[in-house]
Amino acid sequence: MHSRMVSTVVDISEACDNRGIAKSGADESYGFNIWRNTFPAESLPAPGSSVAVAGVTFEFPARESGRGDNIRCRGQLLPLPAVRPDWLYLLGAAERRTEDEVELHYADGAVRTAWLRMSDFWPETAAWFGEPEAFRTSGLRYPRHTHDGHRPAIWQQRIPVTVAGELTALRLPDNPAMHVFALTAVREPGVRDAS
Amino acid sequence: MRVELAPVAPWRHELGHCLHATAGVLLAHRGLDPQIVLGAGWGFHYPGDLRREEYYLPGHAEDLFAGLAPHHGLHSRWHTPAGPDEGWQEVRAELCAGRPVAVAADNFHLPFRPAYRDVHTNHLMVVHGFDDEAGEAYVTDPVPPAYQGPLPLAALTAARDSGNPVRHDRDMFFTANPIGNRWLSWEATDPQPPFTPEFVAEVVARNVRGLTDPADRRTSGLPGLRAYLDGAWERLPDAPDVVDEVFIVAGPVLAVSGLHGDFLDRAGREFGDRRLRELARLVARVTHHWSALRIAVATARTDRAAALPALRRRSDRVIVSYEQVLAALHGHLSGLSPTAHSFGPERTSKRQTDGLPAEVAQ
Repeated sequence: MHSRMVSTVVDISEACDNRGIAKSGADESYGFNIWRNTFPAESLPAPGSSVAVAGVTFEFPARESGRGDNIRCRGQLLPLPAVRPDWLYLLGAAERRTEDEVELHYADGAVRTAWLRMSDFWPETAAWFGEPEAFRTSGLRYPRHTHDGHRPAIWQQRIPVTVAGELTALRLPDNPAMHVFALTAVREPGVRDAS
Repeated sequence: MRVELAPVAPWRHELGHCLHATAGVLLAHRGLDPQIVLGAGWGFHYPGDLRREEYYLPGHAEDLFAGLAPHHGLHSRWHTPAGPDEGWQEVRAELCAGRPVAVAADNFHLPFRPAYRDVHTNHLMVVHGFDDEAGEAYVTDPVPPAYQGPLPLAALTAARDSGNPVRHDRDMFFTANPIGNRWLSWEATDPQPPFTPEFVAEVVARNVRGLTDPADRRTSGLPGLRAYLDGAWERLPDAPDVVDEVFIVAGPVLAVSGLHGDFLDRAGREFGDRRLRELARLVARVTHHWSALRIAVATARTDRAAALPALRRRSDRVIVSYEQVLAALHGHLSGLSPTAHSFGPERTSKRQTDGLPAEVAQ
């Protein structure tokens, strides 16, 4: 992590509603995409792990909640800890690349719009939005087998908080092609610190 | 006898399906640039000719290449042999004549596909050679996991002659449609148009005209798209098949939009036209709305009525995103392109707005 960064990991496990990471033989409730493909669990850290991705610490995959390991974006409101972030960093991926607006909710009641962009998770597909690659698994899991060497990706993306202030919540877009696995609020003390 | 045509290089656009990938391989073999030829067209046309094929292109199922490349004079036609033996002899004859061939195939029988021995589906790939003695064909399939190499002729025959039955619930969209040993031939008019600023301006003008003032406003252009989506959502609560229909239609429309964005971006890059690159990014935003709509409808299967408000909201955003691009493209064609962001001489295309409907202008 950059020495000036102050990271606050956000627990999103309560909002997770999609099972995108699976062990071999998982039941029909698993399926990252509409074809019920999943990321092989053995290629990724254990649930609740603290991992560093491109200089930012995340909790990934989300701790066990019984409901899932990622959020399929449908306009959920995610409460944020009382911090004044400069960036909201995310781990995620999309079913075909996509972009959409999120709403940043401030402690003073203000709401400001920002963009969230997410590249495709599909193997042999580059990050169209230029995100750093967070994870690329050894294969892609299908409902009845795993295709080794067919390697999907999870990306690191970030949302700028261009107006400084304490955030209370993040409204995700109503865009079910977009999945969020992890969220970390990052502050850079001394940078654009007008208040 | 052994034939292996060369060069046959894998080509793929990341939003394309097997249709675009296969066409790209064939075009490149004949010296055409897939990104330019497949990316020039941008429109919407859906007369209700839905087919459960991965290579379906709305409105152009019988002449796929005409739909893929409307500005390059391409045409294709399906061949439907009586059986597998005749089907192979026809493909073999094409290869002997130096022409790689697009063949329909069921992935269930193709060892390099993830669906192998699992589920059936209706796929398209290129055969670029054969070895009679080894009993092999040589195939090129750029769809991930990309494969180029030998395939036992028995496997190819099984894939081409498959009844493509429903097995499991794995492939929800492209099963129950026999493959029938079909293969595709295509032709291009000569000479092909050069990739010039004038050509790009003409293409953009024709695309804008087709989207804003289509010949049939019920099925084509932006009016046709609006009518189709409104009608689909009206039918959705009582018609489960609408989920599959919209998903299958949205896939190639998304791909075409993605290809066209890259076409404009390349034109802007090669011709030093910064505004064209900005317009390419606007087209990409249309593409990204299609990504959202495609998955929104695919995940609406279990509670279609509840999904309607979100589907309608996204449809509105799709339409608005088209309108924004069309207005911006019209402005560009009119020579009214903003230059405030340009740090050097900016080429703008000559006026191409004659004949465009007034509602395009802002």
